Amino acid sequence: MRVIKKWLFVLLIGLSQSLMAQVQDVSLHYVGPTKGSVWQGLQQGLDEANIQGEFLGQKYTLHVVSMEELMALDDATAILLATDEQQVLAIAQSEKFANVAVFNLISDSDALRSACLTNLLSITASKKMKQDALAQWLAKNSESKAHVQGWHEDFVKFAASQLNSRFKKAHGVAMDNDAWSGWAAVKLLSDTVARTQSTDAAVTLNYLKNKIAFDGQKGAGATFRDTGQLRQLVLLVEGNKIVAEAPLRGVKGGLDSLGLKSCK
Amino acid sequence: MKLKQLILSTLVLVSASAWADPTYRLFVTNEKDNSVSVIDSRTGTLETTLKLGERPRGIGLSPDHKTLYVALSGDHAIGMVNVATLELLGNLKAGQDPETFAVHPNGNLYLSNEDDAKASVLNPATNEIIEEIRVGLEPEGVAVSPDGSIVLVTSESTNMVHVIDTAAHKVVANILVAARPRGLAFSHDGSRAYVSSEIGNEVAIIDTKTYAITKTATVDVPRSKPMAIKISPDDKTLYLTTGRAAKVVIMDATTLEIKSTADVGNRVWGAALSRDGSTLYTANGVSNTVSVVDTATSKSVMEIKVGDSPWGLVLDD
Repeated sequence: MRVIKKWLFVLLIGLSQSLMAQVQDVSLHYVGPTKGSVWQGLQQGLDEANIQGEFLGQKYTLHVVSMEELMALDDATAILLATDEQQVLAIAQSEKFANVAVFNLISDSDALRSACLTNLLSITASKKMKQDALAQWLAKNSESKAHVQGWHEDFVKFAASQLNSRFKKAHGVAMDNDAWSGWAAVKLLSDTVARTQSTDAAVTLNYLKNKIAFDGQKGAGATFRDTGQLRQLVLLVEGNKIVAEAPLRGVKGGLDSLGLKSCK
Repeated sequence: MKLKQLILSTLVLVSASAWADPTYRLFVTNEKDNSVSVIDSRTGTLETTLKLGERPRGIGLSPDHKTLYVALSGDHAIGMVNVATLELLGNLKAGQDPETFAVHPNGNLYLSNEDDAKASVLNPATNEIIEEIRVGLEPEGVAVSPDGSIVLVTSESTNMVHVIDTAAHKVVANILVAARPRGLAFSHDGSRAYVSSEIGNEVAIIDTKTYAITKTATVDVPRSKPMAIKISPDDKTLYLTTGRAAKVVIMDATTLEIKSTADVGNRVWGAALSRDGSTLYTANGVSNTVSVVDTATSKSVMEIKVGDSPWGLVLDD
């Protein structure tokens, strides 16, 4: 018995080492600008995904493509879009990407959420989320001139300060909302691939929609609504200072008090 | 193997005989007012407050309990204090932004450098960093196995527990766990390691022979954000601090079933367990207090006022 156990152990160790030696290539396809905030955020996410990949055996690559090149692809693990609403809809609704996670990085269009497409994942906060957050704030602070942002360079809590400082160190500029969205999308994907050990589009989409509890460095483990919107807190900012987080304390519904709650 | 055990037990005997008499002092780092509170644990009274340097967080004792080490994140250093006399003994260099550390039976400190994605090995006798080991992002928790053969480090932003072989100073395994892993502890027999995940709200058991996760449990307590883990001397009970839930969760260390909870101060992070397992002390970062929990009844029996944002604590008993 002991001998068998020992052999099994050696076999398992051998197996895990050979798995480690075989690096899994993970290709992500991206349409959008190749400079500025969202691009820097994607690069930050990619760097961090590849640090994790060094230990767990993945290599992540971001392929920049045009809309035409994307539509000509036969298959993809995941698609990242920093485009306008119409282009996001066109890709997400195309037959061949029906089981591929399509990430909307920067559009706050409410229509993209209420479309309730099963493969469309919106990272940035929607217009309605921001309106609801502002209404919660103004109910108690009617004179305030605050506006709503998804991210801010002075955000400290939930290890946001660590993310802000390593982004600034790498890119020489502050992390803003679009940079956070680009970063978060790649990290959501690397967290998924590390756990599923798969680059299959349907496996990836299923994990993202049903299983993930993502550490966006914004507090509680982030999940997606059936609208495809990433649940998250947002920040009330006045004179470039964070004055509050929404949902405000005591508001019924918590994170789901912001924006379209569900397709049902 | 037998020789190794012999050497090890001899070492343990030698170090045991060199131990100083216990002072029963409880040392608490106060992150935001750059101080260390010194409490007489027998009476619960604050004895004095020490000023070592900027942003004290991780805290620990040398194997002989003669020296207190404090990670001074803001000074990129480890401060030292004579446990018996409370004399400040100066600083050791500690690399960029040391957050916390664990002390190896041989006296070396294994440090997590939060901003640099690495663990450093510091020899306090020579004040030299003898090794730097690359790990994942935002390394945090560090634990040394009872026999000193391995060190575990969590990387908070890449969700791993890294296993470092202390003989080779190489990472020999990487274990993917739930989001934002923080606290680590070994069972006293060394067969199991425990890891807490703050965002994943989970505790996992790792088999230290296979490095496989053998059990996980969600911490079913409102607002729970799991942090420090302590294991009872008999390896039967696990104590978990839970941040904003303001509770210590008491679990069966084998099944991870919750047996009871103890109310403590708010944003409870660090914990220290008395050698006999009878008393648990917690650092309550928002309440600015230390809670004293009687483990027999799972009740907080005292709350002691300390400095601003207590982070970690260690008991010399």
